[in-house]
Amino acid sequence: MKTPLALVCLLIVPFLGSDYLTNLLIVVMLHALPAIGVSLLMGYTGQISLGHAAFYGLGAYGAAAFSVHGGGDPWIGIALATFLVGVMSSYLGWVIFRLRGHYLAVATLGFGFIVNIAFVELRDWTGGPNGLPGIPPLDIPILDLSFHTDGTFFYVAWVAMILAVVMAQNLVNAPVGLVMRGIAESERAVSSLGNDVTSLKRKILVISAAVSAASGGLYAHYIGYISPQPFAIDFSIKLVVIIAIGGFRSIPGILFATLFVTVITEPLQELGYYDVVVYGLFLVVIIAYMPQGLLQGAYGLGRRMLSGARAPAGAGR
Amino acid sequence: MVDALQFLVSGLVIGSIYGLAGIGFTGIYNVTGVVNFAQGDKAMIGAMLAISLSQMGLPPIVAILLAVGLTGAVAVVIECFTVRPVGNDVWRGIIVTIGVGIVLRGIAVVVWGTEARGLPAFSGEEPIHFLGATVSPQSLWVMGITAVLAIGLALFFQLTFIGKAFRACAVNPFASRIVGIEIRTMSPIAFAISGVLGAIAGIIIAPITLMQYDTGLLIGLKGFVACIIGGFGNPMGALLGGLILGIAETFSAGYLSSGYKNAIAFVLLLGFLIFRPEGLFREIDSKLVKHER
Repeated sequence: MKTPLALVCLLIVPFLGSDYLTNLLIVVMLHALPAIGVSLLMGYTGQISLGHAAFYGLGAYGAAAFSVHGGGDPWIGIALATFLVGVMSSYLGWVIFRLRGHYLAVATLGFGFIVNIAFVELRDWTGGPNGLPGIPPLDIPILDLSFHTDGTFFYVAWVAMILAVVMAQNLVNAPVGLVMRGIAESERAVSSLGNDVTSLKRKILVISAAVSAASGGLYAHYIGYISPQPFAIDFSIKLVVIIAIGGFRSIPGILFATLFVTVITEPLQELGYYDVVVYGLFLVVIIAYMPQGLLQGAYGLGRRMLSGARAPAGAGR
Repeated sequence: MVDALQFLVSGLVIGSIYGLAGIGFTGIYNVTGVVNFAQGDKAMIGAMLAISLSQMGLPPIVAILLAVGLTGAVAVVIECFTVRPVGNDVWRGIIVTIGVGIVLRGIAVVVWGTEARGLPAFSGEEPIHFLGATVSPQSLWVMGITAVLAIGLALFFQLTFIGKAFRACAVNPFASRIVGIEIRTMSPIAFAISGVLGAIAGIIIAPITLMQYDTGLLIGLKGFVACIIGGFGNPMGALLGGLILGIAETFSAGYLSSGYKNAIAFVLLLGFLIFRPEGLFREIDSKLVKHER
């Protein structure tokens, strides 16, 4: 429970009066959800996904289409989109988990591409490349609450993030969390103990996709306008960068990495495209030289330097 | 019929490019077990270098040869600093090469900006009419160079020592290591070859479809699809896979809608992955050779 408690202190941020900070943290918290989703699937269960932007986008477009075209209640739209993405990902899992390694990576990448092409081409529903404007902001009329401003939406994003963190931590600390890690290490060993590996992978994919879709739905109602671009392959890769920096299997690490990536890429974006070079370099250096993630890698390095030769190599974990 | 012929020709042209990218994939994969997700970006880098060098006043042939050589060198540097530390870990191999692709695209934006650039066609723009279809001379260059490269590679794999070592790696990586084929030697060679092929592919297509910093991503992914169609064990299979993909794309763009052109590649990809992950031509290989990887 340490992580959710630590996150309580974030609640003062809207009172600091900095619109920039509030806005930045909303983006971080919304991105933390799909990042946690990818971590569950990729970090803990060892199944590569290069297509999570598709789930995030389907959640956003689903929720947006429901309230813009159907005139429905935004909350129901988000819930419905999340549910449908969950159902769809279950069938997707049935298909793609016949594959492993490179094949799985490229299949998920292809799935991401197809979904993004659909966002561009299904103009009647998605507005095509111009996007879908006029998505209503969230509110709860019964309680007389509205989340039209950054300062108020902050709490919606915060609650969503806390729910995702608690869910993910409970999941990975439960017995099934051990099975997940077992799948990442050796599928054969895990299935020899009587676990249905494919079924569990599918369940994790459903959870992971649904968390991403819910976040996408919230994002759509926060921004008020969506276009295909933010849900393209770049975002899937950014999620992989985030979990690589966060050390793949650590929920607090992922939260830190989401903040880190957003914070370093925001100011760099103004310099042009240097942000892309920088996070690409991060990815390469971390994967090639710090396989346990930036935090653990730096921590291990620091410990080795402090304690001299006493700490064994790779003592980060 | 004329339409169909036209689509066939454009399909063969674009398919040649996918095929060349695909051959680069299989070369690296068979030796190192890494699928190089930065493969297509080498085509972009090669084309951009050639454009810049020829704008600096070098004669076109010199600029192109220099660009091809430099791209090969870049590929070897990439091998040394990113792929080698990762070893044969599938997972890290994928992510690290994605990272390399991001860096290459980012550098391309910083150096060359985001606008699309082209090379002048190798021998004029005067279209050639053939049975009612219109063919640009550059298309003939693309198909001709691809054919020459394919024959050259086939001879290389059959006749030279290094080529045979490549085939040995493809057939049985473990046994080839036992008989002394060193990955540490083969891997840079594979990267150099794939870099050179990628650069050539990018340069010959640049006069037809302009080059942009992110053009390489799609070329690479479609090169991968070409490998899946043709089978990963077999460079010529990858080339044929590329041609099939190119033709499928132009026909679907012509008869359906051009917006879905890119989707066709990925639908084919998913279809093949699910129903025939060994590719069209892989089976021939495994019948000849009993050792499965």
